[in-house]
Amino acid sequence: MKKPIIQGVVTILLFLATWFALTQIDWVKIFKVEQITDKTEQKLGELFWDVFKNSEKEIKTTHVVNTIDSMVTKICKANKIDKSKLKIHVLNKDEINAFALPNGHLIIYSGLILNSDNQEELAGVICHEIAHIELKHVMKKLGKEIGLSVLISMTTGNSGAEVIKETARMLSSTAFDRSLEKDADIKAVDYLLNANVNPEPFANFLYKLSENENEVTQYLTWVSTHPDSKERAEYIIEYSKDKTADYQQILANKTWLNLKEELKEITNDINVD
Amino acid sequence: MDLEHNKRSMIQEKQFSYEPGEHEAEAASGSYLMSLIAIVAGIPLPIVNLIATLIFYLGNRKSTYFVRWHCTQALLSQLSMLFINSFGFWWTVSIIFTEEAVTSKYIAYIIAAIIFNVTEFIATIYTAIQTRKGIHIEWWFYGSLTNIICRPNL
Repeated sequence: MKKPIIQGVVTILLFLATWFALTQIDWVKIFKVEQITDKTEQKLGELFWDVFKNSEKEIKTTHVVNTIDSMVTKICKANKIDKSKLKIHVLNKDEINAFALPNGHLIIYSGLILNSDNQEELAGVICHEIAHIELKHVMKKLGKEIGLSVLISMTTGNSGAEVIKETARMLSSTAFDRSLEKDADIKAVDYLLNANVNPEPFANFLYKLSENENEVTQYLTWVSTHPDSKERAEYIIEYSKDKTADYQQILANKTWLNLKEELKEITNDINVD
Repeated sequence: MDLEHNKRSMIQEKQFSYEPGEHEAEAASGSYLMSLIAIVAGIPLPIVNLIATLIFYLGNRKSTYFVRWHCTQALLSQLSMLFINSFGFWWTVSIIFTEEAVTSKYIAYIIAAIIFNVTEFIATIYTAIQTRKGIHIEWWFYGSLTNIICRPNL
């Protein structure tokens, strides 16, 4: 009885040893398999961020930056997300939009903050975008729509500026697959609940904007690119229904109002300029 | 040289408890051929090999000891290949359909799997030929396992 057991174990070990021995060879290099490395993503993040940095104005006022930062810090802490990976930028643009770029760049337009009725709405959208980053949706989308070869050629400087610009625009103005959006929504609700933030305003935000969908929606980018806002609002409500918690506000009310006030001034100033 | 050594240690010619008749040798050899025939279908879908040998095994359940013994050995060897190949198969599927990337670890696994498959393939051909001649062949591990499972009397 002992003999077959020993032989069986030896056979399994033999297989594992063969596998292990073979892994010592860098096959990816030998077969020249194209793959996205951290470096590729880092470089792409820089390239795309440059596009937005050069075309819009970044708001760097201490109060604005700190307020958004404390909101993101609270969300990250409650969900054990490494905040140092995220690079938050607030840009002065009246579009209601926020989006994620490769390598953890998260861009929020001032229009989104100014059009959020309360801080929970903004927190919801931020959580949704952080979910896209955490679930690695950005690189997935790029790989699918642009292709690995084009992405890699961008990072090696073999691609024209126009291509980079177009790709960056695509990231800011088109949604992910329906299933990825849903994943991000559900994850966002989890993030909100973990941070003790009421997810209902996030759903209301979608409802509210979906009602405006038939009007001229040139400013409602975030909603017009994310289809079926009503349906999304419904499943967010459905998902968070049984999960009531002791909800708290991340920012003091005064800080939130100050943020909007300050942004309003900044955007007015810039627009007058 | 290697193969010779292999033959001696991993695959052993042994004296069976009795001299198998002509039709027994043919049926026993058939059980190995069964797994070879199914290999074309079995490469993308590893379960096919197993099903083919299983059908043959079930068909010969009430046959003579020599036939049953070899059907069992063929079945057992397919069973272990099923584990190796299924793992590789689903790994490949996840690379094609999900964001899983091709890594050196994956390529190494596939090469290891190919080596084991080829070894098994050669052993199967060799055994099919030998059993056809009525020579009893016991494989490393599978042979001793078969000796436990397969009893002379039904």
